[in-house]
Amino acid sequence: MDFPKITRRTFLQVSAGTTAAVAVAPRLLHAMENELGGKDFSPENAAERKAIPVNCHVCNIQDGAIAYVENDRVVKLEGNPEHVSTRGRLCAKGNSGMWYSYDPDRILYPLKRVGARGEGKWKRITWDEALTEVAGKLDAALKEDPNTIMLKYGRNRTGGTLERFMKTLGSATVLNHTSVCESSKKVGQEPTWGPDIETPDFANAKYVLNFGSNILEAAYFHNPLSQRVTEGRVDNHMKIVTFDVRLSNTAGFSDEWIPVFPATDGAVALAIGHVILREDLQDSEFIDTWTNVTVDELKAHYAQYTPEWAAKISGVSVQTIERIAREFATTKPATLFTYRGPAKHLYGSYNEKACMMLPIMTGNVEKRGGYCLPRGMGWPQPMPQPSGPKQDSVLAHPPEYPLAAHKVSHLVPFWIAEGRQKINVAFTYQDNPVYTNPGAQAVWGKLYRDEKLIPYFISMSSHMGEETALADIILPDCPYLERWEPESMPNSLWPWLGIRQPVHKSLGESRENRVLLRDIIWKLDPDGSRGMKQFWEFKDGEDYMRHHFDNVPGLKEAGGLDFLKKHGVWPIYGTLDPRTGKVTDKTGREIQAEYGLYKKELSGADIEGAMVDAHGLITKNGKAIGIRRDGHDYVGFPTGNRLINVRVDEWAEYGFNPMPTFKRIPWHETMKDDEMILSTFKLNVHKQSRTAAVKWLAEIAHSNPAWMNPETAKKLGVKTGDLVRVESPVGYLVTKAYVTEGIHPKVISIATGFGHWEYGRLATLKLKDKPAFGGTEDPDLDNVWWDDRGVHPNAIIPVVADPIGGSQGWYDTVVKVSKAGPDDKYGDIHGDWDRHYAAYKETMRYAYTGDMHRKMHPEMASWAGPESVKPKASGGH
Amino acid sequence: MLKTFLALEDDGVSVDPAGPRLSSAELGAECAARADVYRLLSGAFVEEPGPSFVQAMRRPDVLQSLADAGVRFDTDFTLPDTESLVERLACEYATLFAATGGFPPVESVRLTGRYKQDPHFKVRQTYAKWGFALHKGRFEVFPDQLGVELMFVAELLERCSLALARGDEADYRRLEREVKRFWTQHLGRWVRGYARLIEQAAEHSFYREMARFLGGFADEEIVAMGLRIDDLDHGRAVVPKAEIRVEFNPDEPVCNSCEGVPAGPRRATGVHTLHDLR
Ligand code: SF4
Repeated sequence: MDFPKITRRTFLQVSAGTTAAVAVAPRLLHAMENELGGKDFSPENAAERKAIPVNCHVCNIQDGAIAYVENDRVVKLEGNPEHVSTRGRLCAKGNSGMWYSYDPDRILYPLKRVGARGEGKWKRITWDEALTEVAGKLDAALKEDPNTIMLKYGRNRTGGTLERFMKTLGSATVLNHTSVCESSKKVGQEPTWGPDIETPDFANAKYVLNFGSNILEAAYFHNPLSQRVTEGRVDNHMKIVTFDVRLSNTAGFSDEWIPVFPATDGAVALAIGHVILREDLQDSEFIDTWTNVTVDELKAHYAQYTPEWAAKISGVSVQTIERIAREFATTKPATLFTYRGPAKHLYGSYNEKACMMLPIMTGNVEKRGGYCLPRGMGWPQPMPQPSGPKQDSVLAHPPEYPLAAHKVSHLVPFWIAEGRQKINVAFTYQDNPVYTNPGAQAVWGKLYRDEKLIPYFISMSSHMGEETALADIILPDCPYLERWEPESMPNSLWPWLGIRQPVHKSLGESRENRVLLRDIIWKLDPDGSRGMKQFWEFKDGEDYMRHHFDNVPGLKEAGGLDFLKKHGVWPIYGTLDPRTGKVTDKTGREIQAEYGLYKKELSGADIEGAMVDAHGLITKNGKAIGIRRDGHDYVGFPTGNRLINVRVDEWAEYGFNPMPTFKRIPWHETMKDDEMILSTFKLNVHKQSRTAAVKWLAEIAHSNPAWMNPETAKKLGVKTGDLVRVESPVGYLVTKAYVTEGIHPKVISIATGFGHWEYGRLATLKLKDKPAFGGTEDPDLDNVWWDDRGVHPNAIIPVVADPIGGSQGWYDTVVKVSKAGPDDKYGDIHGDWDRHYAAYKETMRYAYTGDMHRKMHPEMASWAGPESVKPKASGGH
Repeated sequence: MLKTFLALEDDGVSVDPAGPRLSSAELGAECAARADVYRLLSGAFVEEPGPSFVQAMRRPDVLQSLADAGVRFDTDFTLPDTESLVERLACEYATLFAATGGFPPVESVRLTGRYKQDPHFKVRQTYAKWGFALHKGRFEVFPDQLGVELMFVAELLERCSLALARGDEADYRRLEREVKRFWTQHLGRWVRGYARLIEQAAEHSFYREMARFLGGFADEEIVAMGLRIDDLDHGRAVVPKAEIRVEFNPDEPVCNSCEGVPAGPRRATGVHTLHDLR
C-alpha cells in the first residue's frame, strides 16, 4: 500500500495550487428547484413496487412476463398470469432477464475502436460524433451502390424497423440468422401446408411422436409447450415416443427413447408412413379431400420405404417401426413434433416433410389433440413506408438456392471472400456469427477482421459479443427490458398481440434500436430533401407503437396501445386458476381452443365476385381465397391451391423430388469404424450465445463436457473427466469426456452456449488480462466457484447447406475422437479457413446447379438440368 | 442510536479529534480547500478529461502542488501535446471505466456487482434531499458514480464554508454531519479499495497517480472526520482461491456417479454449507 500521506496541510496546498484545474472540472449537480418546474418529491417516500407487463426476450419464445420494479429497478421477473400461452410461468432464463440490464459489462456509451480490430481498445464518443461518423460512411457507400451496405441480424424482434431502415437506404443486402436455425424446417413445411411451424396440441393428445426436439429444455416454444406436454402426460396419460441421438430431458420424460442413427429420422418417418399405408390405417377421406395427392398415389409412392430399408439405415428395428406406426395411427388424437433434429441436415427439408406427413396421412391435422396450424396476429406498419431496393443482392438471394426462402446466410463469408458482392459498410444487430455459426472464429471471425472485405463494421449491441468485439464502432443498444417492441408468437393455440415496453429509462446512453436507426437517418437526411426522413417521423418508441397498435380492430376498442401497456397482452382469454394453472372462463371451466381453421366457411361477402375452378379453388381478384368441398366454401390451407401439397411441384422444377423422400448423407455412408458424428445441443438455462453473461444462469451451467457412450469410451480407453481430442475435416478441439449410456454409440455430443472468449467477465472468466480474473471489483465474483468455462465446438463444424431449405447441417460432421495426447490442452481449438473454404466448395456441389445434385436424385432422371430453369424472381422472407 | 448507526463521533465542531480546535475562519478555509480537492478528484474520474482540464493540470504550479502531496506523474502525462494526451487519456478512461471488462467507477457495481442497485437510489435520494438534480455532462452518469459522489461532497463543503462565513454554525453542523453520513454510507465503503485496484490496473500514470491520491485523501478524510468505516471493496487484483467462499466443491468432476465412486456419502473438505455463508 503506498498511498501518499495526505494531511490537512497538504490538501490546503493542493487546493491552492490546483484552482485552475478545479475551475474547469465538470459540474453536473445543479440546484433542483430550477429543474423541476415547481414540482417536488419527498425523499422520505418509500417507492412502491410497480408491476410492468413486458414480453420476455431472453430467448425467442416470447412469453408474457411481469417486471416488478422497486425504486425504478427491476427486482423480480415473473410470468404474466393474463398471458394465455405463458399462464404466469417463466423458465429459469426468463427469471434471470434483468441481469442483462444491470450487467457491469454492459455497453452504455458509443465506443470507437482505437486499436486493431479485436484488440479491445476503445474510446468513448458522444452520440453526435458516432452518428456523424456512421452517416459519413453510409453516405459514401450510397454514392457507390446502396447494396454495399450490409445488415446481418440475429434475433430481430423490431417488428419491421430493421427492414424499414434498409429499404430507406435502398439496400437489399439484408442477412438473417435463419439458416443456422430452422430454415429447412420452415422450407420443409411452407410449400406443403402454408405456415412454417406446427402447434402440437400436447395437452389434449393421446400419443406424440417427437423427432429430435428437446421441448422440455429448449426448442420452439419451450415454456408454453413444456407446460402442455406435462399436462398431456400427467392429466391425459399421453404416450410420448422420442427419437433422438441423445437422452435429453425430454427423451427421459418420454415413454420411449429411441436412439436413432444421426440424420435418419426422415427414413424412420417414411417407414412408419409405409406401414400405415400398407395396413390401410390412413385417413383416406382427409387425404383425398385436403391434399393434392390421392391415397393410391401415396400408397404407390410409399411402397419403396419399407421398415427393413429404414431399419438398416437408422438402427431402429423393423418391429419397433411397425409397432409405433400402428400405435400412432390407431391412437386418436395423436400429434407429432420436430425441432431441428430432422431439419439440420444436408437434406433437412426432405426430413421435415417426411415427418409432417404422418399427422397428415392419419388426418390428425387441426384436431383437438392433433397437429395444428400456428395461430398468430399481425399489426400495421407506420405510414408512409419506403419501397424496396432497386437491385437484388446476391448475398441475400443466392441463385444457387432458389427455394431457400429464408436465405443461406451462413455461406456469406465465402461469397464475400470470392468477391461476389462488395461491402463497404456492415451492420450487425443481435447476431453473433463469430460464435454461433459453423466455422465461428475461423470463418466469420476471419471475415470481420478483414478490413479489405469489411471496410467499416458497426455493431448495434448492448453486450460485447464475439462479433461486437471486432467492430469499428459500437452503438449501444438496449437490453429487452428497456425497449418498445411489438410481439406475437404462435406459442399456444390462442393468438395474441403483445408488447415489450421499457421498465425504466435506458441505462447510460444506450438507445433502443428503432430510435438509434431513426437518428442515423435524421443525420443522413436532416432536412428531408433526400426523401428518407419521411419514413422516420416518430418521436420515440412509444409513438412508433401507437402506429402499430392503435388501429388494430378489436384492440382499438379495448384501448389500443394503452391496453397493452397495462396488460402486456391482448386479448385476455380468461382468468388463470391458481389451483390448476389453467386459464378458465367465467364459469370456471378451462377455455377451449378453436380447431379446424381450414374448415372455416367463407362468408357471402367473401364469395361475391369470386370464381371457382374445376378443382374447387375459389379465387377473387386473381387471389386464391378458399376451396369448395362437398358444397361448402372453406378457407382451406394458406397455400396457393388452398390444399396440403404432398407433392410440391416447384421442387421438381429444380430437380428435387417433389414427393416425400429421404437422402442419406453420402459421407455418413462411408464412415469408418473409428469415426463418429458430432452433434450439439442446448441446455435449459442457456440459449445460443447470449446467456453466458447472466449470473444466475452461468452458475447453474458453465461447462460442456462431450457426451459419449460407454461402449465408445471403452474402445478409446476414456472415462469421465478425461481429455479427448475431437478432430473434424476442418479443425480439432480438446475437451473433457462425459461417459453416459444416454447417447448413441456413434455420436459425440457437445452443448453449445459455453466456451466464450468474449461476452464479459462471467462468460470468459477473466477480467481482461490485468488485473487477472478474481479482482473483487464485482462481489458476485466471490461466488464464482468454477474455473471451467467450457469449450465451444463451432470452429470445427464445417458448413453444409441444404440445397432446398438452405439450412446448416449442424449434425452432419464426421469426427475422429481419440484420447488426448501429451501436447493437448483442455480448451485447445483450431479451425482452419482454407479447410472451411474447401467444405463450402463441397456443399455447393449439392446445390441444384452442382454436380452432386443429379447423382443424389436418380429418381429425377427426366429433369432437364439447371439450364432448363428460368431464373427465379427474388423474394423470400 | 442514530449515532451508532452512522458511526459518528460525539458532536464537536472540530474535524480533527487529535488536533487543536480551529477558528471559524480557519475551518471555513479548510472546508473550501477540501471542496477543491473533491472537485479535482471528481474532475479526474467523472468523465474523460477535456483539453482545458488537462492543460490546467499540467501547469507547473499545479504539478508542483500535487508533487508536494506525493502525486507524481510520469512523462506520459507531462510530455505529450495536449491533443494526443487527451486522446490517450480518453482511451485509458474507456478501458478502465467505460468498456466491457473494465471497472465501472460506480458504487452499485463495486458493492453489488450490478448497475442501478441500492446505492444508486440512496444517493439520488440524498441529492434530492439536499436540493440537487444530476445533469448530463459530456455523457450520462449514474448518481453513484465516483465523480458525482465526490462532487456532491464538494458542494456540501462549499456550503459549509459559506455557512461559517455568515456565522451560521447550526447550518455548518448540519452540513458537516451530512458529509460524514455520506462518507459512512457511501464513499467510505468503497473508494479506498477501489483506488487500490485502479492504481494497479491503470497503464497511464495520470490514472495511477490520481487513484493513489484518491486513496490517500480518503484515508485522511476518514481519520480526520473521526469515522469508523470498513471498506467493503477490497479491490485486490487476485483473490487466492482458498479465500473464495464456495457453496459447492469446485474440484468435483462433472459427473462421477457411474464410475470409481467410493461407497458412502462423499464430502470434500473445505466445502461450506449454505448456512455458513449466511
Ligand atoms: S422460454 Fe424462458 S427465456 Fe424463453 S421467452 Fe419463455 S420465459 Fe423467456
